[in-house]
Amino acid sequence: MTKFIKNVVAAVFWLLVWQIIALIVHNKVLLAGPITSFNALIRMSGEPEFWQSVSASYLHIIAGIFIGILLGAILSVVSYKYELVDMFLSPLVLALKSIPVASIIILILIWVGSDFISTFISALVAFPIMYVGMKNGFTSADKKLLEMAHVYRMPPLNQFRFIYMPAVFPSLVSAVSLAIGMGFKSGIAAEVIGQPLLSMGNGLYRAKIYLDTGDVFAWTFVIILVSWITEKIVMLLLSLVKRGGMVK
Amino acid sequence: MTIDLENICKSYGDLKVLDNFNLEIENDHSYVITGESGKGKTTLIRILLGLEQPDSGKVHLMGDYKYAYLNAGVVFQEDRLCENFSAVQNVVMVNKNNSVKVAEEELKKLLPEDSIYKPVRELSGGMKRRVAIVRACSIPSDMLIMDEPFTGLDAATRQKAIDYIREKQGRNPLFITAHDAEGFDFCREVKL
Repeated sequence: MTKFIKNVVAAVFWLLVWQIIALIVHNKVLLAGPITSFNALIRMSGEPEFWQSVSASYLHIIAGIFIGILLGAILSVVSYKYELVDMFLSPLVLALKSIPVASIIILILIWVGSDFISTFISALVAFPIMYVGMKNGFTSADKKLLEMAHVYRMPPLNQFRFIYMPAVFPSLVSAVSLAIGMGFKSGIAAEVIGQPLLSMGNGLYRAKIYLDTGDVFAWTFVIILVSWITEKIVMLLLSLVKRGGMVK
Repeated sequence: MTIDLENICKSYGDLKVLDNFNLEIENDHSYVITGESGKGKTTLIRILLGLEQPDSGKVHLMGDYKYAYLNAGVVFQEDRLCENFSAVQNVVMVNKNNSVKVAEEELKKLLPEDSIYKPVRELSGGMKRRVAIVRACSIPSDMLIMDEPFTGLDAATRQKAIDYIREKQGRNPLFITAHDAEGFDFCREVKL
């Protein structure tokens, strides 16, 4: 059996289990089955609000993730270069990593309001992931090669390309992948709490109010799907960068 | 130029590696530093390059020297090549004036033609050594410093490498470390 067939068989098995449990429970409020959920998805996708919600949420969250990744990448370089910056940033990053996302969401709601809540939150979640990942990459650069570069007075750009990039790139790829996944999850959580109109989080929240588990599953599926597609596209772009010979 | 090593002392814990070491390194001369492992050959090179400070004593860069540091082409004891890149890239990357064309020509003098565009990690130990030697000779420098440069080379390639280095050396001093002085007739031996 190929891996693909194995995966399909396993997926079908669990969908069947889900359907059977739903049939036994026989209560759409408590547990909607896969068929009910699929129908909910079809119904929702016929409504213009659905597409508006998906695109608005998507743009907000992806902008936040992008800002977080960019900021994390830039500041990791700066703090690797200047110890003083590292000294001041480290506790801030540690705080960002330790504070529960829900607390940050509430604070942003109080300070800024709900309009850009998911952008703020996904940026704040993506930033420390990227910052820490890239900094670990930089410190893993081969000390002996760096000493060689110092002795030869190798041009800084070449040091970056030939010594730092090969060391940093693997951490960069895993940090970006993690930042996208976590960014979407926390961005949606922010929308559920902050409830900006026409957003996926708001859709989830309304499904909760109406006790509609079918809609909850449908929204969940959509969120996973857009997050997954985004991650795949970004990973593809990064692998193209690698294959293009920029990084080895 | 002249480099004057004056009363260099260096210890690691209780182990005294260099004890009042004196040497004047001058143009037109080659030096082979011999001694068993752990006698301080690599330490001496690191002090020369300013990578380590002696416990006492001084390194004087004399004459009208325009740098605050020693500008040297160096072969380290380990190859210290960027393993994922080709030999040509390894030579070109170290100096902004190094060109692909010249790097190709120089590498071909010591290495088979089909090897210079392979990633360095696919080359044998002896080939990597030769890439490191060509790289050291590729930059404009005031001195060549080589830490056991011929390990893993057979007699014929070793002779070819020596001839290559001698040609590239010009009037600059050459500073080589080795287990013994055999085959270094052109050098002044300094025993550690």
